Amino acid sequence: MKDTVVARPADLPPAPSRPSLRERWARRPPNLEFLVGAGMLAVYLVAALSALVVFWSSLDQLPQNVVWVPLENPVGPSSGHPFGVMAGFGTDLFRALWQASPWDLGIVLGILSIDVFLGFFLGAIAGLDEGGLVDAFVTFVSDSLGTIPTFLLAVVVFAGLLAVAPKAVGLPVFVAIFGIILWPTMARTVRERARIIAHQPYVESARASGASFPHILLRHVMPNAVGPVLAQVPLDVAPIFFVLSAFPWYYNCQLPGGPPVPPGSPPIPYLVPSLPAFSPLPSNSFPEWGYLLGFGTCEGFSFPGGFNYWWMYLFPLLAIVGLGLALGLLCDGIERWRHFDR
Amino acid sequence: MTTPPEKLSPNPESPTGSPGSSEGSSLPDSHRPVLSGVTRYALRRALLIPAQLVFVLLILYIVIDLPTALAQTPPESLAALDRGFFQMLFNIFTGNWGTAAYLKYQLPWTQLFAYYIPPSIQLAVFALPIAAVLAYPVSLLAGWSRRPGVDAPARFVTLTGALLPVFVVGTLVLNALFFSYLDYFQDVPSQGLLPADFWFFNHGGYPSWILYQFATQPTGFPLVDALINHAWTVAAISFTKTLIQASVVAVAYVAIFFRHARSIARSVREEVYIVGARSRGISERTLLWRHAARAVTPSFLLVFALTVPEYLGVQFAVEVAFVDQSGFGYLIFASLTTGELSPVIPLVFLIAIVVLVWALVVDLIALRLDPRGLAGR
Repeated sequence: MKDTVVARPADLPPAPSRPSLRERWARRPPNLEFLVGAGMLAVYLVAALSALVVFWSSLDQLPQNVVWVPLENPVGPSSGHPFGVMAGFGTDLFRALWQASPWDLGIVLGILSIDVFLGFFLGAIAGLDEGGLVDAFVTFVSDSLGTIPTFLLAVVVFAGLLAVAPKAVGLPVFVAIFGIILWPTMARTVRERARIIAHQPYVESARASGASFPHILLRHVMPNAVGPVLAQVPLDVAPIFFVLSAFPWYYNCQLPGGPPVPPGSPPIPYLVPSLPAFSPLPSNSFPEWGYLLGFGTCEGFSFPGGFNYWWMYLFPLLAIVGLGLALGLLCDGIERWRHFDR
Repeated sequence: MTTPPEKLSPNPESPTGSPGSSEGSSLPDSHRPVLSGVTRYALRRALLIPAQLVFVLLILYIVIDLPTALAQTPPESLAALDRGFFQMLFNIFTGNWGTAAYLKYQLPWTQLFAYYIPPSIQLAVFALPIAAVLAYPVSLLAGWSRRPGVDAPARFVTLTGALLPVFVVGTLVLNALFFSYLDYFQDVPSQGLLPADFWFFNHGGYPSWILYQFATQPTGFPLVDALINHAWTVAAISFTKTLIQASVVAVAYVAIFFRHARSIARSVREEVYIVGARSRGISERTLLWRHAARAVTPSFLLVFALTVPEYLGVQFAVEVAFVDQSGFGYLIFASLTTGELSPVIPLVFLIAIVVLVWALVVDLIALRLDPRGLAGR
């Protein structure tokens, strides 16, 4: 190919220069979903970074005020406390959520990056090299691990590690475990798409012209297999916060019939937020949205209908759902933008 | 739909005849393989199920039993650890699942599971049809429609639904229903699929066909047993409670299903035969409900098979939210929160069997509906 160089005819108009960013923006502006999602995510990032600066000295401890602890007439949303007060915890909810934002953003981003890195890479290789060793591995592992509900596997793995090394196991290990548990689902959906792409004419012709496996993978398959990743990422936020919130909720609520307390253990004092046996959080005053949501849902309701301190569960819920929605809008926006679909 | 053209069957009249292999309809009968392509595929998958079960059990052994063994065993006897795995495999496959240590009844897990599983099956039998009736048209319509007024709200609502923890939704529903339920049935909507204990105390105590206040006789399914024992009011309450919980399960599950199913409906929109039919003036409604709906059904079934564990997770959480003490999810939550991991291995073993067999069945149904999918398997 390179041995025949054709001279450019002189009468052709000059080749267009690469469009500037402003021109490209004008030709193909990002859609509303992308902008809204990116804006929401930026708010979360600003909150997390400012919390790092403001609360740096005691980032992992929520201050507890004894005055706010009782459940009788807790302070609701007001000018002094815009999100109200989390009774039981005895802490201002706005400050708690703000202080928790770097932790939660770190948890979510850490888990999702492990998940995306492994799932995207292995899934694309498996789809491209169909029937190969990686394909067999990915299919077998994702089929087998896919039979266990995510929350169950996460809890069981974490509890097992906790039994061996209670000192060494903490939040980073939880993040690693969760990322490793989530990747097979991601790999499976990516593999399906990559399998289709691997049989497209442009991949066939690249292969015929001698392109190497890594080149085809990185240049042709992976950029075109982003779709399933973008669809899966916001969904993977849900099980993370389910595990972080459901077990504190259950444990603190002391539902009838459970949890059974081991004989000889001291009675769990009412209204002190407590962590279940396998919680990844280091202490019971750790700022974390899921924990706050679980505790707030438990203490915010008096079933049936005696009182309803709605702010105690609504604001943590909004923080969690907002983060998921921001990721969802951003991913949907990118996906539609890729397909010239405004 | 997604099949590479070179792997399609050489004979268009017999699309099920093992594409990708060398035999065609021109071969003499003696050269034909004994089993058809679908049967061979089904057999291969069925034979793989025990291997996958052993693999799942190995993972569980590594994460549950091995750490405790390592923490307790002195280093010189570590060589015996692999024997522990084979012992565990033997126990699991022979039904020797140990005894519940912390429940007041001190029953073997097999017996407890036999009490706890039927109410959960009753809930699933109600929830799955509701979920199907909701998920199928919603996913199809939202994926099909080009109008942002249909797709965008559907995506927004379902993503929010997937992100809301089910127990919050359950608690809200419980609170909303409480007083109307108390007025009408003299009962509360929580506390399982049977009437609450105070209902029984107000109506002459527990009947003899209910053991331990939750395990019903003779079938174990609360609704069926109430009907068999002519307890019509109990049956009506059980029916209503199951319906409420099943609706919450269905709504939460549809949110998960939708995200996967929508892109399938979207890809069908651009298929050549759809575009061709549209150019011939076929109405959009016919295109959607006659042509596209038929094309997406196999893929929807596969998505359903893939999300069965997620469905189970949702149902477990709803059972806990509704204080469904007879439910399987409640048993699991109650044991997990205290760090009791002994029921996890038999539980996951059961779930894995259900999911793997179910995935195989659904896969075969999907192949029956769309034989092109056999290529590349």
